[in-house]
Amino acid sequence: MVPEEKIKVRIKFSKTGDLMYISHLDLARTMQRIILRSGIDIWYSEGFNPQPKMVFGVPLPVGVESECELMDIKINSYMSNEEIMQRINDNFPTQMRVLEVYNPEVKFKELCYIDYDISITSPKVNEALGEQIKSLFTNECKIVKKTKSGEKEINLSEYIKLLELKCEENTLYIHTILPAGNDMNLNPELLIEAIKQNIGILNTDSPSEHYSIMRKKMLDSDLKEFR
Amino acid sequence: MQKDISAILKSVSKPARYTGGEFGQIVKDKQKIKTRIAFCFPDTYEIGMSNLGMKILYGALNELDYVWCERAFAPWPDMEEKMREHNIPLFTLESKDEIKDFDIMAISMQYELCYTTAINMIDLAGIPMYARDRDENAPIILGGGPCAYNAEPVADFFDIFSIGEGEEALCELASLYTEMKDNGTYTKSTFLREACKLEGFYVPSLYEVSYKDDGTIASFEPKYDDVPKRVVKRVISDLNTSYFPLKPVMPYIETVHDRIMLETFRGCIRGCRFCQAGMVFRPVREKSAEVLNRQAEEIYKNTGYNEISLTSLSISDYSCLHEATDKLLAWTNDKKVNLSLPSLRADSFTRELMQKVSSVRSSGLTFAPEAGTQRLRDAINKNLYEKDLLNAVRLAFEGGKSQVKLYFMNGLPTETYEDIEGISTLASTVIDEYYKTDGRPKRPPSVTVSVSCFVPKPHTPFQWEPQDSLESLRSKQMFLAEKITDKKIRYNWHEAKVSRLEAVFSKGDRRLSKAIYVAQQNGMRFDAWDEYFDYEKWMEVFDKCNIDTDFYANRRMSYDEILPWDVIDIGVSKSFLISESKKAYESQTTPNCKEKCSGCGANKLGKEHTWCPKKK
Repeated sequence: MVPEEKIKVRIKFSKTGDLMYISHLDLARTMQRIILRSGIDIWYSEGFNPQPKMVFGVPLPVGVESECELMDIKINSYMSNEEIMQRINDNFPTQMRVLEVYNPEVKFKELCYIDYDISITSPKVNEALGEQIKSLFTNECKIVKKTKSGEKEINLSEYIKLLELKCEENTLYIHTILPAGNDMNLNPELLIEAIKQNIGILNTDSPSEHYSIMRKKMLDSDLKEFR
Repeated sequence: MQKDISAILKSVSKPARYTGGEFGQIVKDKQKIKTRIAFCFPDTYEIGMSNLGMKILYGALNELDYVWCERAFAPWPDMEEKMREHNIPLFTLESKDEIKDFDIMAISMQYELCYTTAINMIDLAGIPMYARDRDENAPIILGGGPCAYNAEPVADFFDIFSIGEGEEALCELASLYTEMKDNGTYTKSTFLREACKLEGFYVPSLYEVSYKDDGTIASFEPKYDDVPKRVVKRVISDLNTSYFPLKPVMPYIETVHDRIMLETFRGCIRGCRFCQAGMVFRPVREKSAEVLNRQAEEIYKNTGYNEISLTSLSISDYSCLHEATDKLLAWTNDKKVNLSLPSLRADSFTRELMQKVSSVRSSGLTFAPEAGTQRLRDAINKNLYEKDLLNAVRLAFEGGKSQVKLYFMNGLPTETYEDIEGISTLASTVIDEYYKTDGRPKRPPSVTVSVSCFVPKPHTPFQWEPQDSLESLRSKQMFLAEKITDKKIRYNWHEAKVSRLEAVFSKGDRRLSKAIYVAQQNGMRFDAWDEYFDYEKWMEVFDKCNIDTDFYANRRMSYDEILPWDVIDIGVSKSFLISESKKAYESQTTPNCKEKCSGCGANKLGKEHTWCPKKK
């Protein structure tokens, strides 16, 4: 008997607002329950302790919102992508939405970069400060990065693939592309950390100073949208 | 307000404790709501969200269309510091609105060491902690939960307590409140006076307490003729038709009990003499296997949890356990949902049961003999024999387990050093049994002996007992440590200082409230957490307030004394408790309710649904 082919499904979803405080591990557990109560016939891993198999694109750090998270599952029997989308959305909390469901052709290992929008609000923000930040990130900018093997000092500017700044009253908008591959990757919080250390803003938790980071797009090695 | 909260969330640990927004949380249109209730749990989100009582009451109150019940948990000290620094008062997770603008602030009092955290929540809400200092604008502060069975130590902080099971009672209270607000008859005092006439509500300010020179209570009387002399606890008589939450809130962060909790029955047939739950939740009332299974299927569909835990005080006493597990297993196996049965008694542990529960995955099992010798087990009415325990562990070993956890207590009334040595002997016998079992696993066995300290509890046959002194408890713990020499036996003991403080509050009266107040003012919170528990600081507080802790924890009360909690009627008669107390000293057991009715008196509360052989 020919084994029945499992259907691979990629789910693109957003995770915004207060949900930025939910860690990747908590999200994975939550997602498992969402899929189960959606009644989607998900494929379980085999072995002693079978678990519904879910693979995520790039783990989203705590404190970062996203409009482009990706998750792959396999289903045992056919269900239309529209139906999958509908069922998951019915079971998502309000700050998560399925944006697209499709059958992927490319593996996650081809995902290389992520496009971010960062906004920084502070009474100290002005054009001059924007310039200061721009020069901080285009010249050598040392910062300590935590890796699996420990801490190491890196030069931030080597990691920044794209940097665009726009200044409006009290708010600075940064559009940036950062590596997110296996060999090279960067948590956008490190940009904020560098700003805190070198520019002297965002060091209080006063309501007048805050920032937000939004993942906008997953990109491949040619900076084209990863699908 | 929202903006201020998000500004501090990035600088506190586990911010998801404070954001709400979970699947299943209930959000209503404020314009259509008459009465807003903040259900507060004086511990962390992870602990509070694991509490089945809170899930039931949250759901039951929100069934009323004119009520919106929201949740709040005690902020961890780092969050509290930020909230105080930025003048952010305590808010609810659903609307993030300030609790001081709510109609009712309901606080669940689950254990004695939450008292400072509980009144700190009132303070953090920006509400005066003492009931007498609150004006008409402050919310009604309602207490409930197990500690309400002796609420006296916190009586001065609360306006009213719900005594017993709350799902019907709280709805009646909300209805009375709304009606009086609607028809313009509401003032705080008129409301409380009316509310004390509802079944199961205790309004401490309506009682006058006076004391004798020796510190015992001289009189405890209602101030007015229309206030009941004693408050009878509420019970739900039919669990098959009563409210049960089928669409619980789904936490994002991992909570202590992150699974489907299905209540099988309330009450306990056993009558262990130290156990408060075994007395106050009488009479036994069961849910049918059919209803249980229907609820399980529904909750599974609504949650996606992959584990079901059947809860009760003693699951093997559930008369439809086999029928219920059969019904459940008929679909849970297919859906890869695990079934777990906590609180198994050793004398009813069978091979069939073991094969049914998928806690099979873990390699351990837990039993609670409570005492090391048959004499002491008889004195506490545990009704468990060594042969039953050995039989249970043998079955477990044959089934591939190699780890057993055994729970005991030190300081039980009538305990001698022989009984303590018996704990060590019993643990060794379990190890011997392992090596005698054919088909045991290949690994070496491990027995964990966990010994807590006896805390005398109100409404139990041991309520008059003094607690062992701190020194005596300590030396008993050390004695046992010397007796246990086998490396395969792991020995844990509880900090006796924690148990002593529990005893003070558990047997306390109204005069303790000032100590709780001073402790809160000194920044004491989360006393149940090792990192914040500070016994020496507590003793300083008691000294400062001229409170003699020995009077509460270490004094034998007399049978004819007026007890601080006598105002509460749990249905079990005092004469039954006295007779049980006397039998303990003769090591005489009392049969369980299944064998024979011993006439405790609680049966009258269950009406036609009471599980009682006499009635059937």
